[in-house]
Amino acid sequence: MATRALLSVISASPRRIKIETSIFSSSSLSSSLQLQRYSRKAHRIARSFSSDTNPSVLQPPDVARLAETARISLTPAEIEECGTKLRQVTDWFGQLQQVDVNSVEPAIRAEMEGGNLREDAPETFENRESIRASIPSFDEAYLKVPKVLNKE
Amino acid sequence: MSTALLRTIQPNHFTLLGTALLRRTSRSNISVRCSGSQATTTTTHEAKQPSQSRVAPKNHGSNKLDEILRDYEAVIGIETHVQLSTFTKAFCSCPNNYGSEPNTSICPVCMGLPGALPVLNSKVVEFGVRLGLALNCGLSLSSKFDRKQYFYPDLPKGYQISQFDIPIASGGYVDVDIPLEFGGGHKRFGVTRVHMEEDAGKLLHSDTGDYSQVDLNRAGVPLLEIVSEPDMRSGIEAAEYAAEMQRIVRYLGVSNGNMQEGSLRCDVNVSIRPIGQAEFGTKVEIKNLNAFSAMSRAIDFEIKRQALLYNQGQEDQIVTETRLWEEGAQKSVSMRKKEGLADYRYFPEPDLPEVILTQDYVDSIRATLPELPEAKRRRYEAMGLGMQDVLFLANEASVADYFDAVIGEGAEVKLAANWLMSDIAAYLKNEELSINDVKLTPKELAALIAAIKDGTISGKIGKQILFELLAKGGTVQGMIKAKNLVQITDPAEIEKMVLKVIAENPKQLEQYRNGKTKLQGYFAGEVMKMSKGKANPPLLNKILVEKLNAKD
Repeated sequence: MATRALLSVISASPRRIKIETSIFSSSSLSSSLQLQRYSRKAHRIARSFSSDTNPSVLQPPDVARLAETARISLTPAEIEECGTKLRQVTDWFGQLQQVDVNSVEPAIRAEMEGGNLREDAPETFENRESIRASIPSFDEAYLKVPKVLNKE
Repeated sequence: MSTALLRTIQPNHFTLLGTALLRRTSRSNISVRCSGSQATTTTTHEAKQPSQSRVAPKNHGSNKLDEILRDYEAVIGIETHVQLSTFTKAFCSCPNNYGSEPNTSICPVCMGLPGALPVLNSKVVEFGVRLGLALNCGLSLSSKFDRKQYFYPDLPKGYQISQFDIPIASGGYVDVDIPLEFGGGHKRFGVTRVHMEEDAGKLLHSDTGDYSQVDLNRAGVPLLEIVSEPDMRSGIEAAEYAAEMQRIVRYLGVSNGNMQEGSLRCDVNVSIRPIGQAEFGTKVEIKNLNAFSAMSRAIDFEIKRQALLYNQGQEDQIVTETRLWEEGAQKSVSMRKKEGLADYRYFPEPDLPEVILTQDYVDSIRATLPELPEAKRRRYEAMGLGMQDVLFLANEASVADYFDAVIGEGAEVKLAANWLMSDIAAYLKNEELSINDVKLTPKELAALIAAIKDGTISGKIGKQILFELLAKGGTVQGMIKAKNLVQITDPAEIEKMVLKVIAENPKQLEQYRNGKTKLQGYFAGEVMKMSKGKANPPLLNKILVEKLNAKD
């Protein structure tokens, strides 16, 4: 839920941060990989904030650094605009963090039914072509990507 | 004899590589590479070449370096990634097949498409528990998955599903036997943790062109990562640790453990410190180690590199970095320098529930664990076998099972070990077969050993029919009968043949009687030939000597 709140904030921000709510609502296979990657960033940003342990006052978001870790480029104007909106979110987390939860057992996630494991039986996904069609560049059977040698 | 044979068919890489580093001026050893499955076999063999031991590097021109090395202690930790031999990927039902057409084993889940949700493969949990138990770990009855974020073209989702703060297993250990020529002894290395995670895709870097190629068939394939305690002190110890991991995952059937295919990948962390210093030095990570021998050499290379820097007062040049081992050049090169810890921004994976294990489930898996390599080694040792035999037999589960079956049929332990290690091992090597492919059943090998022992057939005949039995099967008794191979133990019959041979070789007889007694071997050979190898050798020799020395 927190993430969704964040998403709604960010999706109102400038065009270049293409965040969609598709991850939560859409099962459409036509969405591109790229889109997905952007939407995943929302989680990370949320994490960056929620991991801040100062209970009452949260640090203002370092938008430039967040943009760097998300591998997106923002103009100074965009940084400023984003910063204001993100600040609203962190303030909200600040309120949440003021709640005294000392007597509450930590829960990572809502209760989910156990035993929902999958059997190890292979199944070929039929519509692979539409996945492949969304890949921008091929070199024969391989995906073609810019030359990379170093991680991080 | 068997030692000699073994050395021919399965050269001991470590013996060679142990010296390779200390004698880098003479490059003759360096071309030796072990390849994958053979590597395990070879790592454990003892070859009786104590002069090549790492700890006896005297008189070969690198004394100065040895002196420097004596002042430092290396600290080595290993991260081992084991690719699981499941039918499907970790979180989707895509087939997990090595060698499929690139980018065919993909679906919305492993491609990270919107709305797709991961569902954990039950086999991954089972294998995690199996390996955790085999490594003497404590299990987390409740563990969870986390997201590890990084951007790289082999990672479609932009994060890897892994386990961060609560791994499925932790706090274990593994026992290994160091081969005698490297000092021998029994060592225990700590296992910090075992956790479940998914693999990334495979990146291929073309030499030409300014792009890389990606195959996403591997993206989402299940892995178990085993993190060791920094307990290893030399390349040999590290390689033995890794070889034991390979044995264990193969015994357990959780992975094929094949290093060439990347099913078993080891990254090592090496630091050195002056002896007596408590805190660790700066650690350097080495990657691209695709054979145990490479691992051992790369570590020893790194230890030397760091010791020299220390010795020259340049220890500030030992920096936290990742180095790539170049097998061709026998050296490592810096791949990237790390500035502080990489920020992976872990957080709990919201799309997957916690992994809950019941005690009953754990117990049921414990009940299906096979006898592990260490237990086998101790059992074979207790039978009175030497360490060389023990290491050979326990190296592969199939060989150990075969051996157990042979002695289960009543064969003498040492004789059974000898047959397996010499002639049968040579045959398997030549024919590129595994013990499971041979037609000779354990029962018939026991029968063959018994037939030689009770004198029904000679050892020489035994060897001859062994190869036929290996290739075509059949029974020892049937073959002895069909080929009329029963050993001749009738003294009168042997005496007849001896007299005939002596009569046919008057010249040699004269030489013998004039003092050239070496010729006894010639006569024995002739008699044996006449008997088609069936004459009982002690009886033959006894009668032959009598007749040769008889005055007529």
